[in-house]
Amino acid sequence: MKRNITIALVIVLAVCTWAACKKSTPVDEDGLLITTRRECSVSSFELLGTDFVTVRVGTAAIDTTAQTIKVTVAFGTDLKHLYPQFTLTQDCKLDPKVVGLTDFSDLANPRKWTVISGDRQIKKTYSVILTVQPR
Amino acid sequence: MRHLTKYIGFASLLLLASSVLTTSCKKEGYALPTAPTQLQDAAIKRTLGPNIIGQPLEFAYAMAILKGKLTSCTAEASIAGGPGTYMENRSFYTAQTGADVGVTVGSPSVTTGATTTVNYTVDTNAATLRYYYVIPEAARGKTVTIKFTAKSSDGETVSTTMGPYTIAKMDMKLNMNLTDGALMYISIADTAVYNAADAAAHAANIDLVYLYRNLTTSAFNHALVAPAADPQYLPGVTLPNGVNRTVKMRKVFNLQDHNLAPTENFGIYIDDIDFQQIDLSTMPNYAINLKGDAGVWVETADGKYRAYIFFNSVATGKATVSMKRYQMK
Repeated sequence: MKRNITIALVIVLAVCTWAACKKSTPVDEDGLLITTRRECSVSSFELLGTDFVTVRVGTAAIDTTAQTIKVTVAFGTDLKHLYPQFTLTQDCKLDPKVVGLTDFSDLANPRKWTVISGDRQIKKTYSVILTVQPR
Repeated sequence: MRHLTKYIGFASLLLLASSVLTTSCKKEGYALPTAPTQLQDAAIKRTLGPNIIGQPLEFAYAMAILKGKLTSCTAEASIAGGPGTYMENRSFYTAQTGADVGVTVGSPSVTTGATTTVNYTVDTNAATLRYYYVIPEAARGKTVTIKFTAKSSDGETVSTTMGPYTIAKMDMKLNMNLTDGALMYISIADTAVYNAADAAAHAANIDLVYLYRNLTTSAFNHALVAPAADPQYLPGVTLPNGVNRTVKMRKVFNLQDHNLAPTENFGIYIDDIDFQQIDLSTMPNYAINLKGDAGVWVETADGKYRAYIFFNSVATGKATVSMKRYQMK
């Protein structure tokens, strides 16, 4: 009898340990949750100067089909030192990450960012196209 | 019998534990502290932020004795204070309204060299005197200590030394008025603003041009632009002869340094270290669409100076700015 109880206890313990160690929610290399969402787009975009004040003139035009973000910036904007801010659909992430001031001065070659969906299966690359407002 | 022994042992253990707990929780009796009879003192520094040349360091020095009376109070600085250094001959207390109320306790202070003294003229055994040490040019980049000494009628002496305080290397110039078309040429080296004629005479030192443009096509407004900047940022400006220097500058907003904007109570201070550490190497030579509470970090073309210029207020075609300037080499 005693032996049977011990065996049962060991089995329960083993099952518990296995269940506890099992990964129930996968995360990616950034420690972000991988979900089942497949939406992959930019919902809004902001561009700040070194003074953390917006340099936009009007709203950014986001075209999710053409995968472009067109922004007109104020005359005199220092294009070499801007902070881009993306708002993405739920569970998406951005590549490359925005880590600080970004140089947008090469207007002929727009900067590109890739939006990756929540399930990490869909990737869409957006071009950020800047136009400087005339004086 | 065996059970009884076990029971007694358990009960003893329980009793011991509860007595230990009771003892540890017992409140110790309170006794009123006995005031020392000898002369005592204490000092605090009342000013905050960087210690800038020409600005006062304010201290409050308290002294008291149980028997006898106070006879004198002396502050001795390691570097003699600048003009305006003095000690209050009034002892302050805080009224219920929160206001500081001064009561005259001594003759006006006398400063000789680095020593400032107040001699008591009333019979008092406790007072708090304030000492204002105006930081002299001689202290720039050095450290200063202040030794406070109180003396009593029975010959006792007590001293407290405050510091050392590091004196900033930077300079400060407050409330410079800029006017588009007139006082619009800024020299960081001179920490001054010139009109066109004076700017031509100081051409080698002119770093920035202030201008205001109310354009319908873009938000230009108030701007600081280097004379060497792209002419599109200097619309309608004819530079005086020889005014052609450039700068590197970075726009900021809401960096309300408390020295430059004393009415703003944000407790922010720009100190030497901020000038030493900021990297302006890739920054442009113009800043347009500036407004009140905006500012710019500036580095002169020769790298000799870095400055922070803050817009205290703006009006159409006018601005009042204040500047902190640090000499790099």
